[in-house]
Amino acid sequence: MARLLLIEDDKETADEIRAELGERGFDVDWAANGIEGLDKARSGEAEAIIVDRLLPGMDGLTIVEALRHAGVRTPVLVLSALGAVDDRVRGLRAGGDDYLTKPFATVELIARIEALLRRPAESRDTMLRVGPLELDLIERTAKRGERTIDLLPREFRLLEYMMRRKEQMLTRAMLLEEVWKYKFVPQTNLVDVHMGRLRRKVDEPDEPPMIHNARGVGFILRVPA
Amino acid sequence: MSLPDFARTTTFRWTLAVAGAFALYIVVLFAAVYWRTEQYLTARSDAVVTLQAQTFAAATPERRSDAIGEFLRQDPRMVQYAGLFTAEGRRIVGNLEALPGDLQIDGPAQQSLLRVGPGGSETTIVRAIAARLSDGSVLVIGRNVDEVEEIAEIVGGALAVGLLPALCLSIAAGALLSIRAQKRVEEVNLRARRIVAGDLRQRLPTRGVDDPFDKLAMIVNGMLERIEALIHEISGVGDDIAHDLRTPLTRVRVRLERGREHAATVEELRAVVDQSIASLDQSLAIITALLRIAEIEHSRRLEGFGQIPLAPLLREVGDLYDPIAEDKRVTLRVDAADEATVHGDRDLLFEAVANLVDNAIKFTPEGGRVELALVRRDDEPVIRVKDTGPGIPDDERDAVTKRFYRSDKSRGTAGLGLGLSLVAAIVKLHGFRFSIAAGPGCLVEIACPQLH
Repeated sequence: MARLLLIEDDKETADEIRAELGERGFDVDWAANGIEGLDKARSGEAEAIIVDRLLPGMDGLTIVEALRHAGVRTPVLVLSALGAVDDRVRGLRAGGDDYLTKPFATVELIARIEALLRRPAESRDTMLRVGPLELDLIERTAKRGERTIDLLPREFRLLEYMMRRKEQMLTRAMLLEEVWKYKFVPQTNLVDVHMGRLRRKVDEPDEPPMIHNARGVGFILRVPA
Repeated sequence: MSLPDFARTTTFRWTLAVAGAFALYIVVLFAAVYWRTEQYLTARSDAVVTLQAQTFAAATPERRSDAIGEFLRQDPRMVQYAGLFTAEGRRIVGNLEALPGDLQIDGPAQQSLLRVGPGGSETTIVRAIAARLSDGSVLVIGRNVDEVEEIAEIVGGALAVGLLPALCLSIAAGALLSIRAQKRVEEVNLRARRIVAGDLRQRLPTRGVDDPFDKLAMIVNGMLERIEALIHEISGVGDDIAHDLRTPLTRVRVRLERGREHAATVEELRAVVDQSIASLDQSLAIITALLRIAEIEHSRRLEGFGQIPLAPLLREVGDLYDPIAEDKRVTLRVDAADEATVHGDRDLLFEAVANLVDNAIKFTPEGGRVELALVRRDDEPVIRVKDTGPGIPDDERDAVTKRFYRSDKSRGTAGLGLGLSLVAAIVKLHGFRFSIAAGPGCLVEIACPQLH
């Protein structure tokens, strides 16, 4: 059970988040202000930290900077009501690992925390494998079992990202930010369309599905049972 | 003790200092003039008495007394003194009562106190010379140097006449200037206080003259104008948000209320909640989009600017939208061969182009075509998005770039009605030109002048 630290001054929000995360099996410690938060964060007990940017008398980014300065490498998710693109960039530059704009869907928050906890190690493997799926990063080829999958470059990029994060919920916003590097929310459901293409190529009708649409908010690549 | 306000101003102090320095300079100048004049006059008197003494000394003793008498008679201004004394000091002839004791005999001309008048009752200071003659008598020749005192008087008088009024004048001018400056400052203070109190229409007073104070006032006024415009914009954004959120929020409220009253099963209640969440998400998306437009319109976010090659950007947009077009059975063609680069923010430009393509695909009916092209016109790169959709009627072309405008024809197509406003804001930030041309279908262009 992963221990998390939530630094958030609004009690009601904090209670909601703690309840939600508690239900998902997280053990959430709560700090209501920056000083307390920084102390708890320094103790290094938390496996991931959630920091609100607007704390009384303090910018949450200050905490992140202080932690990074002190050599604490615990992954940090920054929450903010400031949603501008520049704010996001600033948040990541300060040492945050991810940035989520309030208000957010709970699943989005959980997906991002899980992603932080299971950050893929920088591997030098040139071959990725998930169940029967194989991705050759040198040859740029993909296979499912013996079947060769013909992928467009953009589909290859998407599948690579998913294979590095197998069994993990990837929300639309995460995919947009990470795979496409797009920092805006398109009006059309771009991710679904692209995912639909990839899915038709990866999961043929007679094969057990690997790409799953999860609760309408994102996608998971699973090893077929 | 407190000075009057104007006396405490910097202007006044400077005026005083300058006036003081000026007065000192004049005094020194006059003193120099006086000193040089005195020197000159003394030297001249010395030369005269020396010459005179030599003349008398050269005369025969018989002629000498007469010559001295004649010399004194011919001096109506009474500036000459002469005396001939025996070796014992008794007066032989002349208008001097006694041989002056302080006068060195056979020395150069010097200053001396002479006793004159009946019985030596008067004394006068003169330049004098004394010489012992061959017969043992002593000759004294003097010359009054009253002229030097007169000159001193004249110089002093001139100083009094010229300097005092000049000093008074400069103090008066200083006071006047500082009072005027202070009046302007007070006026500015008053207006500034009103502005602080919330009256943003106030402006600093200007006189239309080309002085630094006026220039400063004009700069501040320019700032105030900008601030006022911004405040209006912000309240405009606020109004937009309030107006356009009321509708979806009211819908959510009604839906929740009805669901609470009428939902018979948990499933029905869930459906109501799901719909409500979707509506709320839409409302949030509207806020985000509006704030974003305002941010782009009003910030000078130029930190992300760099040289952006346009062709790869267009191809990437094409790549992103290719499957969407295909799903809709719309042909998406990208024609970007030009090597053009522009100075801009890549993410924003991408967003603008993506928005245009998104719109084009959305409004183009099945079987239609969307063309994304990079062309060159008048040596300017132009991004062109052309579609075979219904196009935008002439009378609506301006309106579509306004916030929330949605053509009647597009009702029923998903979207927030903010896309083109966002494009317009991004284009404006870059100093590009955005145009919607008449066509069959819709033809929008972003002309990218390359400024340096």
